[in-house]
Order: sequence, then structure tokens, then C-alpha cells
Amino acid sequence: MSIDIILFLGLAVVAILSAAGMLFSRNAIYSALFLIINFSAIAVYYLILGAPFIALTQITVYAGAIMVLFIFVIMLLGAEQTGRTPASWWMRPLGMGLGALLILESLYLIFTHLHSFPQPIEIIDGFGNPGQVGEILFDKYVLPFEIISLLLLVAMIGAIVLTKKKMKR
Amino acid sequence: MLPEYYYLTLSAILFSMGAMGVLIRRNAIIIFMSVELMLNAANLAFVSFARMHATINGQIFVFFVMAVAAAEVAVGLALIVAIFETKQSIDIDQMNSMKG
Amino acid sequence: MSEYLPIVVLLILSAFVAGAAIALGHLFGPHHPTERKSLPYESGMTPFGPGARRMPVRFYLIAVLFILFDIETVFFLPWAVVFRKLGLFGLIEMLIFVMVLVVGFLYAWEKGALEWE
Repeated sequence: MSIDIILFLGLAVVAILSAAGMLFSRNAIYSALFLIINFSAIAVYYLILGAPFIALTQITVYAGAIMVLFIFVIMLLGAEQTGRTPASWWMRPLGMGLGALLILESLYLIFTHLHSFPQPIEIIDGFGNPGQVGEILFDKYVLPFEIISLLLLVAMIGAIVLTKKKMKR
Repeated sequence: MLPEYYYLTLSAILFSMGAMGVLIRRNAIIIFMSVELMLNAANLAFVSFARMHATINGQIFVFFVMAVAAAEVAVGLALIVAIFETKQSIDIDQMNSMKG
Repeated sequence: MSEYLPIVVLLILSAFVAGAAIALGHLFGPHHPTERKSLPYESGMTPFGPGARRMPVRFYLIAVLFILFDIETVFFLPWAVVFRKLGLFGLIEMLIFVMVLVVGFLYAWEKGALEWE
């Protein structure tokens, strides 16, 4: 066993267990904290896969900012727990079954298409650096980039309009 | 360097767990978090495909996904707050009428 | 990958130092918990009610604006690195990007979302 596979498996255990913890925690705050662990583990995968800039963005934007927003809202509503009145009894097993089916199907797809994956390619030095990302982002993807600004503007206005009424009181 | 399908497998598992969370939980905030988990799994797939083909394009998409996720969280959580104000609950079983 | 080795060493070292500080305190500090001591500390008052209080919605709005401008900064960083290579074209596209977001900023300002009374 090489160091690579030990690293991969260790992180995979962390990622999957924290995702499961997120799913099954009774308290929404614990779910949010589990999700932060999951995002950090995925950030390490980004580092391994030659995407250092994305890895750090993942930590600052996802694990840092977005999850803090989630925790804010959980505390804002004081809604750590929802009632336990079960919906129909068959919903939970059905959901689990469908999720398991989705896992099996996607694994089947991946492992029947292994032969169509390209041979391993060596990446050049500085792959995934901010500079390399910038060169393509601001050249080939100018239009999506500008549309992102509109999206952020709309999100800003939407969030303000939706919360504004309550601040007036 | 491990073959990329290891990472794709993990991404598939995480995505399915997120989908399962959307199906089995009734707390709207946790459903939202499951959607974030699914977006992250998709990002992991994007990055491993970028590595597989040794081109940076897949990584660019991750930035767009992150920006979309941030916008989605901003508006979605504001909606949850607004729903909580009228219903005093974020249980999605309670959200069954079109009128506020 | 080897260029990240210093960061890994740093992480392990900082985790070790933080863990050691807590562990040493547990090992050598006196432990006499009583019921009163383990209550949450509220400046000498007897605590009442649930520990977590609901927070005003204002925090949420500030956090949302922070995230959206945070994303903006994420796009700034690669732009700043390749700024010279892109030349005038890069400057113009970033100006459009920033202009659109400044509209949002002015809107937030106008609506008083940035005020903290």
C-alpha cells in the first residue's frame, strides 16, 4: 500500500462519515459542523488533484463563509430541532432505498466505463495556480464571468428584499 | 498518483448521500445543506476530470459552481427565514399551501 | 505535492501544541466539579431559559453581503495575477464586473442594509 492510497482512504472515511453525521444528526448545528469537516476533507482532495487555488477557495468560501451563514440562520430561527412527528412511515426507507440505488447505479456506470478513461497524463508545473486559472477564465470564459456578476447582484437584491421588512420593525 | 476513478467513486457516493438527505430529512435547513453536499460532490468530479484530461477548464467550472452556490444560499436562506416568520416552523411538511 | 509538506508539518505541529495545552491542563489541574460549578457562567446570576437566544435578522443580512463580496474577491485574485498579460481587455472586463456589483452595493447602502443603528 502506497502513501497515496492510505491518504485517499483515510480522507474518504472522514468525508463519508461526516456526510453521514450531517444526514442523521438530530440537531441542525451539529449537521452544519459535520458539513464543515466534510468540506475540509474535500479541500484536501482538491490539493491532491492539482487544484491548490480551488482548495483554498473551498476553505474560505464554503467552510468559512457559507457554513457560517448556515449557522447564523439556525441560531437566528432558534430552530435547531424540528418536531419528530413522523411523516408517512414508508418515506424514510423509500428515501434510503432510492439513495442506495443511486449509489449503485453511478458506481456501475463508473466501473463499466473504466476503459474509456484516458491514460494518466502528467500535469505541468503550476497546474491550477491562480495565474493559470486567470488566463483561461478571463479569456475563454469572459461571458460566464460577467454573468456571475449579474447573478451576485440579483442574489444581493433578493436577500435584501426578503429580509428588509423584518428589519423595519 | 491514484487513478481518477477513485475520486469519481467518492464523488458519486457523496452525491448520492446528499440526494438521500434531501429525500429523508424534513428540516428545510438540513435539506439545504444536503444540496450543498451534492454541489461539492459535483465539484470534486469536475476537479478530477480536469486532472484526468490535464486541462484547467474543469476547474473554472468549479468557480462558477461556487458563485452559484453562494447566490443560491443567500436567497434560499432568506426564503427560509421569511417562511419561518409566517409559519413559525421550517418543517417542509408544514409548507403545503401557496398562500403565505 | 511535496511543496505542501511544510503546511502539513505546520498543521500537525499546531494541532499538537493546541492538544498538548489542553491535555496538560487536564492532567495537572485540580478537578472538583460540583453542580453549581458546572452551570453556565452568567456573571454570578442563576442562569435561566435556553442557552441559545435568537439573533436579530441584521446579522444575517451582513453575512449575506459578506459572502457575495467574498465571491467577488475570489474572482479578483486570479485576475490580479494575470493583469499585465491581459492588458486593456482585462481591465475593461473587470470594470464591467465591478460596476454591476457596485450597483448592488449602492442598492444595499440605499436600503440601509449596512446600517447598524
